[in-house]
Amino acid sequence: MNPKYSVLLIEDEESIRSFISTTLKSQGYKITTAACGQEGLHLCASLCPDIILLDLGLPDIDGMTIIAKLREWSSTPIIVISARSHEQEKAKALDLGADDYITKPFGTVELLARIRTSLRHGNQFAVGNTPYAPIYRHKELMIDYDKHLVTLAGEMIHLTQIEYKLITLLAQNSGKVLTYSYIMEKIWGPYIDNNNQILRVNMANIRRKIEKNPATPEHVFTEIGIGYRMAECEQ
Amino acid sequence: MKTLPKKFFKRKSKPQDVAKNILITSCFTILATIVAFWFFYTVPEQSANIVLVYITTLVLVSRFTTGYIYGITFSLIGVICVNYLFTYPYFNLNFTLTGYPITFLFMLIISITISTMTSQIIEQNEIILEREKLLMEAEKEKMRANLLRSVSHDLRTPLTGIIGNTSTYIDNAETLSEHEKTDIVKQINDDSNWLLHMVENLLSVTRIEETSMKIATSMESVEEVIAEAIMRLRKRIPDVALNVQVPETFLMIPMDAMLIEQVIINLVENAVDHAKSTLPIDLTVIEHQDSVAFHVKDYGIGIAPERLSSIFDGSPYTPQTPSDIHKGMGIGLSICKTIITAHNGSITAANHENGCLFTFILPKEN
Repeated sequence: MNPKYSVLLIEDEESIRSFISTTLKSQGYKITTAACGQEGLHLCASLCPDIILLDLGLPDIDGMTIIAKLREWSSTPIIVISARSHEQEKAKALDLGADDYITKPFGTVELLARIRTSLRHGNQFAVGNTPYAPIYRHKELMIDYDKHLVTLAGEMIHLTQIEYKLITLLAQNSGKVLTYSYIMEKIWGPYIDNNNQILRVNMANIRRKIEKNPATPEHVFTEIGIGYRMAECEQ
Repeated sequence: MKTLPKKFFKRKSKPQDVAKNILITSCFTILATIVAFWFFYTVPEQSANIVLVYITTLVLVSRFTTGYIYGITFSLIGVICVNYLFTYPYFNLNFTLTGYPITFLFMLIISITISTMTSQIIEQNEIILEREKLLMEAEKEKMRANLLRSVSHDLRTPLTGIIGNTSTYIDNAETLSEHEKTDIVKQINDDSNWLLHMVENLLSVTRIEETSMKIATSMESVEEVIAEAIMRLRKRIPDVALNVQVPETFLMIPMDAMLIEQVIINLVENAVDHAKSTLPIDLTVIEHQDSVAFHVKDYGIGIAPERLSSIFDGSPYTPQTPSDIHKGMGIGLSICKTIITAHNGSITAANHENGCLFTFILPKEN
């Protein structure tokens, strides 16, 4: 049976705090709440929660500062809760070290799914599992990292070197959104310029190879202005 | 006409303008004299040609300089040149020749007339520009007024529902059955979702800059925008039936992705909520020479022909239908129009045999 995970929620809106705590409690999580950033940082140090839910718009400290401060000493997964319409802010939070973000308003199903994904990624190292499963599988798509093999419904897919690197990077972080700048640096190295056109063209080519209809993708999703997210690997 | 001279004298000429005008005048003087010399040596017996050369140049000088002074100066120079260089006795000023004052007078009249016309043209251009600015201002004002009108209408409906339902619940908590309670809460949930949709629409408009009606665009991939719009739409309507088609080539066009997603969501939602489409809705993207067309086609009840012309104006009702027959057809479409206009694109609605077709076109270049 799963151990009881502890969640720290840093959020200043009372109604949202109460709704999230109720939902998470009913799902068997142990939840602690903080109404401001200062309190959140203290609780984080004293409780060492398994996961942190952080609202970016706090009254006392800027959410970005909190992420940066936490990342100085902790690798606890952080899910950022933010209002829509500020893509750059989300991308910045992710680049600072947040694991994922969820946009207000969100449903409980979505929230629980994100928490599960982040916990899984955060725990791989702690429990001592191999970092990645040797095979990624989602619907008809399969990636065998050892054999360098990508198949769709049993058919082999021919990918270029870059495309293969891209899809494995996304698959190994499946369920998580990876920002443009993170992907660019991982694939093309740190000296690539900021223009992400080359990335998007490559992603378009991948999409044409693995998706039935590139406009309704099933495997690789776009978060415009932020990056890409690959569907969670099926166990 | 009467106000022109005043305007002319009021306009302070900048030093660079003066320099430019003097340069133009001198260039034309030299040019005219060269041409005149050429005539003088090739066809010496036709001295009238020389005067014609100067008159033509005078017209040009008056046209291309601002103000009267340069034309008048040139007519003086012209008269003197003709007299000094090309009339017997050569290289001598002789003002006793018959008809001399008349030549000068005519040249003066021509120069003044042309200069007046030039200033008039400049004046008119300014007036037209001013008028265009006013028109744009009025358009913006109209858009804002329409938006406010539909917002106040569309927000009131779900809010009334929420307030009514919650007070029913609070007042009658003991007497309501479990089933009724669930119903009430469901209603509140529906209404709040609707409100959220509305607010998101409104928020999207705040991305359009107030003063210039311009937006910050970046190159975005069409298929990615469509995919994300559908994903966001599925959050609200999970089982929406859609046929999506995008071009095989990879297309990137300048846009604000959030706003275009909002337009796609609004159009598809309308097709689902209002048109009562019986078949899956077609969402098709077609690439043209220098634009990209997005079509949303439903197979529903269509739009009343008398509404087609005003459907994007944000008027929430027509005289025939009561205002609250269905919430919110108005605001969504007027916001679509605002967004597409800010992208320098166009949006149209039309009926086809089994429903209606909304099309918006975005330019490929800014």
